[in-house]
Amino acid sequence: MSSLAHSHGASSNFEADQVNYTSSVLHLFIEALERRQKAQVLDLGPVCGENIDFFVRRVQRLYVCDMFIRLDRNRRKGVPSSWAWRQIDYPPQSFDGILLWDLVDHLNDREVMGLVELCRNIVKPSGIIAVFVLGAKAFSNTVNSFVIRDGLRLHLRPQPHLELPLHVRQNREVLSLFTPFTPIRSFIYRNGLREFLFRLD
Amino acid sequence: MLGKSKGVNKGDEVAFSPGLAAEKTVIGKHITIKGGILGKEDLIINGSVKGSIQLDGCHLTVGPAGKVEGEISAQNVTISGRLSGNIKALDKVEITKEADFDGEIKAKRISVEDGAYLKAVIELEKEPDKKAMPADKSAEQTTPGSDREPLTLVKETDKGK
Repeated sequence: MSSLAHSHGASSNFEADQVNYTSSVLHLFIEALERRQKAQVLDLGPVCGENIDFFVRRVQRLYVCDMFIRLDRNRRKGVPSSWAWRQIDYPPQSFDGILLWDLVDHLNDREVMGLVELCRNIVKPSGIIAVFVLGAKAFSNTVNSFVIRDGLRLHLRPQPHLELPLHVRQNREVLSLFTPFTPIRSFIYRNGLREFLFRLD
Repeated sequence: MLGKSKGVNKGDEVAFSPGLAAEKTVIGKHITIKGGILGKEDLIINGSVKGSIQLDGCHLTVGPAGKVEGEISAQNVTISGRLSGNIKALDKVEITKEADFDGEIKAKRISVEDGAYLKAVIELEKEPDKKAMPADKSAEQTTPGSDREPLTLVKETDKGK
């Protein structure tokens, strides 16, 4: 289903450091959380200080579990990537919201389906999931963190210590992988980025 | 080695009176401690500690080679090594890129460098007169022709329809 992009290294046409936009899905995500009492949010990485600072002021408890680093470590050790899911060992219906950033871009379809199933188990009924996808312009294997600055603006910051494959998907493929969830809104930006908000009904 | 440092020249006598701001104890990388640590001076752990650590009004540093398993209570905490356990800091927790942390953090401030591995639950000690910040309403404003303007692909899609 997805196509595996090859690394173009420094010659990539994707200028991550020039990405700077206001995220509509992040806005909806925060609005939804603010309507909930004592919201609990899980961020599956890449974890960055700015985002922790942003969310920890808006939710009761912020959980972070950096799957990017875990997947990267497993890949370097030659351990199956599926072992990384053991880290997501939270009790059922724990979270009001889950942030996936562009994690699905670095997983094959089978891995995404495993992740989606885990998310379905740990999100509360009516809980929401924010998914970010780099899109076809992102023909670089460099992993980026989505850094929240200046309100709800997102900047990409390269994470050169992480080496993970990149799987490019069409919108319909992303929607299809998240079938246990109801798509609420999705957006495509002129920089190629796409954002999805899903809810568990 | 278990040492004291005060930022002084070699050979200078180090006073052991508690509460001196510049005084600190270093647990060397070949030292393993099993049991609790209670103190009133800064502590740097480059070795291994299994047990709770309580440093009133002081700074705990887990160095890049340090390994700690236990509950931490201090004024400020800096983690560059491995820490498994819960942290309660009266002020700031700093997690550097070398850190590997698994546990809960309660602090007034927290900073995390890219590259740190975190599996954490984070709660900020909110100051009583400061409310949680609302979402930035300016995010709704978009500039036509720029990256800011989103194109809606799906609107309120109902499953099964």
